[in-house]
Amino acid sequence: MNSRALTAADALSRRRTTNTQPSLARNVVTWLRRRKYALISATAVLLFVLLWQLCGSLHWVDALLLPPPSEILGTAAELISNGYRQTPLWQHFFISVARASAAFVVAVGAGVPLGLGMGLSPTLAAALNPFVQFLRPLPKIALIPLVIVWFGIGESAKFFLIFISTFLSVVVGAAAAVLGVSQARLRAAQTLGATHHQIFAFVVLPNALPELFTSVRLSIGIGWTSLIAAEMVAANSGLGWMVINAGSYLRTDVVLLGIVLLGLTGYFFDWALVQLQRRFVPWAGKDA
Amino acid sequence: MRNNWLNTLLAVAIAALQSFASVAQAQAVPSEVRFAYAGGPRVWILGKIDGAFEKAFGTKVKWIPFASGADVLTLFAAKEIDIARFGSSPAAAGIARKLPVEVIGAPEIIATSERLIARKGIATLKDLEGKTVAFPANSTAQYAFEVAVKLAKVDRSKIKGLALKPAEIVAAWKRNDIDAAYVWGPFSQQLEADSGKEIFATRDLQKDDVLVFNNFVVRKEFAEHHPDLVVKFLRVAQDKVDQYKRDPDAAAQLIATHLDIPLETARSTLSGLQYPSLAEQLTPAYIGIESTKSTSRITRAYKDTANFLADIGEIRKTDVPDSYASAINTTYLQRAVAVK
Repeated sequence: MNSRALTAADALSRRRTTNTQPSLARNVVTWLRRRKYALISATAVLLFVLLWQLCGSLHWVDALLLPPPSEILGTAAELISNGYRQTPLWQHFFISVARASAAFVVAVGAGVPLGLGMGLSPTLAAALNPFVQFLRPLPKIALIPLVIVWFGIGESAKFFLIFISTFLSVVVGAAAAVLGVSQARLRAAQTLGATHHQIFAFVVLPNALPELFTSVRLSIGIGWTSLIAAEMVAANSGLGWMVINAGSYLRTDVVLLGIVLLGLTGYFFDWALVQLQRRFVPWAGKDA
Repeated sequence: MRNNWLNTLLAVAIAALQSFASVAQAQAVPSEVRFAYAGGPRVWILGKIDGAFEKAFGTKVKWIPFASGADVLTLFAAKEIDIARFGSSPAAAGIARKLPVEVIGAPEIIATSERLIARKGIATLKDLEGKTVAFPANSTAQYAFEVAVKLAKVDRSKIKGLALKPAEIVAAWKRNDIDAAYVWGPFSQQLEADSGKEIFATRDLQKDDVLVFNNFVVRKEFAEHHPDLVVKFLRVAQDKVDQYKRDPDAAAQLIATHLDIPLETARSTLSGLQYPSLAEQLTPAYIGIESTKSTSRITRAYKDTANFLADIGEIRKTDVPDSYASAINTTYLQRAVAVK
């Protein structure tokens, strides 16, 4: 497959050499080759959007049930200029991002040390595990009635719902990351006379970091999904609230717009974390 | 080889579907009729208790509960229900969104069953400025609240409005998170039991000619296939109103027991609605008949509601139909009266 692509590309560039701009052709080919997978993704998305649009344009599906992309773009333009329910669209967006980010920061800040601690100390793990394992798989929507009674209907209730789902996953992921560090390396360090502190700083942490990053990525994904649950609680703004409120008026175009924005934002969060991981843990996946 | 196997499977599946569809079409009566009902005390619940709808239809009735009228729109869009009794304002929103449904009756005019309950020290709508008010989203209560505030010339931007489900309103009230709530029974009574005081009721809007009501809405496709069932439905619903009017206390008792709510709650909610009869609904003061419906009070009320929802940005201005008359089908009401 690859070799055939190469020969085709070579043939193309050879043919182009007879033209006046051989370097340009070669540049295009190398650019295409380097971006091959990005191009495949882009084409897949384009085809999907096209099909989706056709469903609406050719009336295969009722626009009420599945508003076509053109209608969603129109709605986006309308909401950007007029806002949704007296709140500008960008404000809905930033309120949601702010709510989630605050919860993520606290959840990662508290969850990583606790998880590392549980990974290092079997006693701590034994004491906390029952609670963590009980709460983690719990659907957070089930907590809503209690959360309202405990935290009221202000921002703290929303913070708590996102925090708790992110936090528990981070804890479990961090503990697992520590346990995943190879025993051979730990023993080697011990044999060489490393102190507890040194083992943690130079063996456990560097080895656990790649997995730690992955679990943070997964946790933030989970946390972002609970945004909807959080904004089901007496919100007046935010993307999750927008989706729920628009749904109650059957504004499926606004619902889909909200879903697209929620999805893109989640994508962005993940992308940002991958960049961070590359920056701070360049050795991830390059283990011997 | 594998393709052959797949083809056979597909053919069998298609054949099965086709026969199933033809059987379904041939049936004069569907295997079940699905009603959407709010959990609260309403007169037609009497028909749920004694199975009067089943008897009249000759088939099963499935009662599907919903929390607020907004859910009904989703249920209709998903074709999960056939007939619903819910509020006029979500109905106006749904019809504006071209939901394939028809209004077949307006059996309940909301008078005192939906009320604005506030804490002590709040006596008028004006006092709500700077306070937090909760209401169920896209409900007749929210509509009544917004209109009341507008008519009283109170600065709406100074009131913090919160959309909460009825049960959540009670929880928020107990935590002192809200200062007032516009909601229906049994929840309004629960707030009153906890030192709340009524400061406004939907009936107060009638003097400004604003009509807020509950309607019977049917899925268009269902009504086209089973017009007789729709007529029977209206007939039985009216029988239940008559039964209630003959002996309100006994009816309230039956409903309170069935829903497991206090008798007083059932009684005050039931008496907080006005019940125009089938014949009254056919006058222009309510729905009117086919020739008069375009200017009837209910038709105008839908339009006003939709305009209002468009003004506050819930639905698109361009979505609001010129007239709601085409979404109202009075033929079933007319036939139901004739059956009498």
